[in-house]
Amino acid sequence: MEDMKESHGSGEEGGSGHGSGNNGLGGGLRGGSNGGGGPGGVGPGGNLHYTIPGILHFLQHEWSRFEMDRSQWDVEKAELQARIAFLQGERKGQENLKNDLVRRIKMLEYALKQERAKYAKLKYGSEGVAHLDDGSKALGDDEELPPVDGDNYIAVSNVNWRQGRQLLRQYLQEIGYTDTIIDVRSNRVRSLLGLNDANNVNEENRANLALNGGESHRTRPDGTGAHHPAHSVRKGVTTLAEEMMLDTEASVLANFDFLSSEAEVDDDDEMNDDIDDGYNPQEMKLKASKLAQAVTEAEDKETEDVMNEFNFLTNTDNVDSIKSAGGGGGGGGGGGQAGGPSSKDVPKGLSGVGFQQTGNGAKTNQLLGGEKQQQQQQQQQQREVELGNNLELGELEQLTIANDNESSYDISAPKEAYRKTWSAKYTLRSHFDGVRALGFHPLEPVLITASEDQTLKLWNLQKTIPAKKSASLDVEPVYTFRAHQGPVLSLAISPAGDYIFSGGLDTTIRCWQMPSPNVDPYDSYDPSTLFTTLTGHEDAVWGLSYHLGRKQLLSCSADGTVKLWSPTAPSASNLVRTFGNATEDGGGATPTSVDWVQDDPTKIVTAYSNGSCVIHDIESGKLVIKLDTKSDSTSAVGSINKVVSHPILPVTITAHEDRHIRFFDNHTGQMTHSMVAHLDAVTSLSLDTNGLYLISGSHDCSVRLWNLESKSCVQEITAHRKKFDESIFDVAFHPSKPFIASAGADALAKVFV
Amino acid sequence: MTTTTTSSSTTTSSAGVSTANANLTPMDNASAASAAAATGLSTTGSGPSLAPMEPVSAPALHPLRRNCAGTPARDFCAWPLESFDEMDSTLAVQQMIQQSIRAHVEDVEGILRAPDTQDEGVWKYEHLRQFCMELNGLAVLLQSECVPETCTQMTATEQWIFLCAAHKTPKECPAIDYTRHTLDGAACLLNSNKYFPSRVSIKESSVAKLGSVCRRVYRIFSHAYFHHRQIFDDFEAQTCLCRRFTVFVTKYNLMSRDNLIVPMLEQDLEAGESEA
Repeated sequence: MEDMKESHGSGEEGGSGHGSGNNGLGGGLRGGSNGGGGPGGVGPGGNLHYTIPGILHFLQHEWSRFEMDRSQWDVEKAELQARIAFLQGERKGQENLKNDLVRRIKMLEYALKQERAKYAKLKYGSEGVAHLDDGSKALGDDEELPPVDGDNYIAVSNVNWRQGRQLLRQYLQEIGYTDTIIDVRSNRVRSLLGLNDANNVNEENRANLALNGGESHRTRPDGTGAHHPAHSVRKGVTTLAEEMMLDTEASVLANFDFLSSEAEVDDDDEMNDDIDDGYNPQEMKLKASKLAQAVTEAEDKETEDVMNEFNFLTNTDNVDSIKSAGGGGGGGGGGGQAGGPSSKDVPKGLSGVGFQQTGNGAKTNQLLGGEKQQQQQQQQQQREVELGNNLELGELEQLTIANDNESSYDISAPKEAYRKTWSAKYTLRSHFDGVRALGFHPLEPVLITASEDQTLKLWNLQKTIPAKKSASLDVEPVYTFRAHQGPVLSLAISPAGDYIFSGGLDTTIRCWQMPSPNVDPYDSYDPSTLFTTLTGHEDAVWGLSYHLGRKQLLSCSADGTVKLWSPTAPSASNLVRTFGNATEDGGGATPTSVDWVQDDPTKIVTAYSNGSCVIHDIESGKLVIKLDTKSDSTSAVGSINKVVSHPILPVTITAHEDRHIRFFDNHTGQMTHSMVAHLDAVTSLSLDTNGLYLISGSHDCSVRLWNLESKSCVQEITAHRKKFDESIFDVAFHPSKPFIASAGADALAKVFV
Repeated sequence: MTTTTTSSSTTTSSAGVSTANANLTPMDNASAASAAAATGLSTTGSGPSLAPMEPVSAPALHPLRRNCAGTPARDFCAWPLESFDEMDSTLAVQQMIQQSIRAHVEDVEGILRAPDTQDEGVWKYEHLRQFCMELNGLAVLLQSECVPETCTQMTATEQWIFLCAAHKTPKECPAIDYTRHTLDGAACLLNSNKYFPSRVSIKESSVAKLGSVCRRVYRIFSHAYFHHRQIFDDFEAQTCLCRRFTVFVTKYNLMSRDNLIVPMLEQDLEAGESEA
């Protein structure tokens, strides 16, 4: 392009020079034949009769034509450059993809190799392993320390096996699992594990680095083993290795986060708190800050000193226990010291690993070397990212890219980074029939359940019986409330934790004093626990809600009324007011659920079985606003099973029989959001104290956790079985502790942490 | 993937129960769909996977057996009976028992008649659960009248004083405490993950535990009968519980005849009259 333009330009110059007009014109004509020619060009060419004005005119014409062409070429050039950039981008993308795939293949190969090695180990014993496992660290260790090979190998292979499994899970996740299913945090940890793994793969080529890196991986877990001898004593070699892995995750995570973003200090600390089960958070913090410092001064020579200091800080305890452990393993160091209270009970695995590390005598040096190497490696990665030096890096490049993704994810959603995944912890088995309602004590880890078997039960989650073969714990109830003569349907607990209210199919509301959570389950019967019975409803009581400040209780019943009670007042004046004959504002429907409007204690919100939902003023008894449940485009709005009021915002949330959850603005009555939340009727809702998350239970057997901001489902838990067409009756958030609970028709209640 | 599993599970279970396929299918679909969702396989599939969902929204085929919030007491559980073969829930036995009790509470033999294919251990277990549950009703009534001042010990006739087994060392609890502790203890035992981890199959060794539970809870009947006759008679008229219990333990030989001191069976009543 450029060249063509310039050649024309020179022709032009020749023309203007007028030294050889004929040539110039000839060029002009040849050029003109393309451009469509002009009168000036044809005329003089035909007559061979040149006039100065004619030539000038021709030259001017030619000039403008060339200018036009030139601008066209410019445009064209720009287009093609864009095209080139696009194609280059595409190529880069393909390369990234290719590298990614290569990395995966290598990882899989590595995992496979480990598996083969393990298999061979099982088949031929440790000798075979040494030959097969040419690339791994085990070989080097073997040469150094043949006596402890067995134990050492078990620890390493367990770690690797875990890594391989984690990787496979990661791939699954990349194929189809979404973030809602696999938790973000574990995701993070997993990709960090991926990092470990890839380090290993890459370092098959750099044996020296690999050795050091591997050492450093194992350094810290040992430290934690020493911090918590109880753990290592209790558990066998396998579990020890697993624990070590967890701790490694935690420590690697700490390092890594600081590399990726130093601004995430708070976030990071929380994560560490979450993940490690033995670390002193203070110490972690110290470690973290030291690390951060180290990173910022990466090029500095002083870094080494800082790191040395830091290593001594974290490994002081280590050295003691390693010494003693080493003494057990090979008789090298001094005997059991005060630093290692567990020295004589340390299982062989620990002693093996410990000995392996200390075998050369230069224990601390080696440990420090490992730490340093790891640091430097990561710094190197960091630098390489900054340089954008991607093609030569191979697998390392991918690692840093993965890191980039994560940090960007963190920026977009910092909350999600340490969001927890709820998992079942306690199974509450003692009811004979469906559990209709449940609620937490406001402060204690105590749960109250109300069942169709006519009883309520109080459970102290701290009094547990470890169940066999499962991670969940069984809890036995500490108190059984008997007074209802029929199924108990509804439950409310005073936010002060002093009273419990229950409504039953027998039309009564029973008011109970909260028993002590440490009461003897087989204590003698005290009739005063039931301090009053509210009678007044003529049919089943389906909904209760207590307001602490007003000391008043709301109840709604199948008799069509909502009643306001002062349960603690002298019994004659218990009933304060009866609201709303249903025919007036509910269209002949029965109220199904009632709640206080949280941001305005003079108002209550009532949901009806025909799908309508209204807000009343309790002082005047007048209807304040009717929430616009009919505005949904779907033809018929299903019966409302539960209504809850947002603790902070003027928002009402309803759970519908037609599988929807709907959100309303209390001031305008407008529906702000409507979503199909479950595969079957939504039966129950509960909001956390801050109003950020919502849990819903449904007859589709699942409990779902929703982020209220995005209205997206964060987690789904299949919790209960069906009895007839009913499954989950109620869900609840603990007001002050990280517990959620679900109550099911299968007579079980479950608590998730 | 999702599609195939959904449809295949539907066909297999429908094939198992050839009667009333129309009723069964929607339920199967619902459960299969929820199972699919539970495993994280979102039903993003097109036409075929969505198709089975449709019958769910057709209520005519399948009346929902469900007590929605706001259901009046008279309509509670008042849904059409479902045959035992159609129940696909793991709680089918409990459903069956409760359904027949609601239908005809006085038809004790009918209630206790197990379906042909039913495992006897589970049948006995579920019945005992139901007895303990309904005994809560009797305990509530007793709480109003049976106070430690009048009934200081758990007795029926003067022959025996029963010691409460709920404590580490058996103790002479007042009758009302004995009643409550026995029911609480039975609830714990019958829900114990150790002895009764499943409600679908029960170990033979655990079935053996049922007898002692029966013996203990029977004392509640006998105490009420001999000391709180009015309460007992009212309760019995409403529930026929003692009669059902007596037939139950006799039928499955869970208690010896000598211990059944409340006259309930025909021959008991006759014997009582002839003695008089």
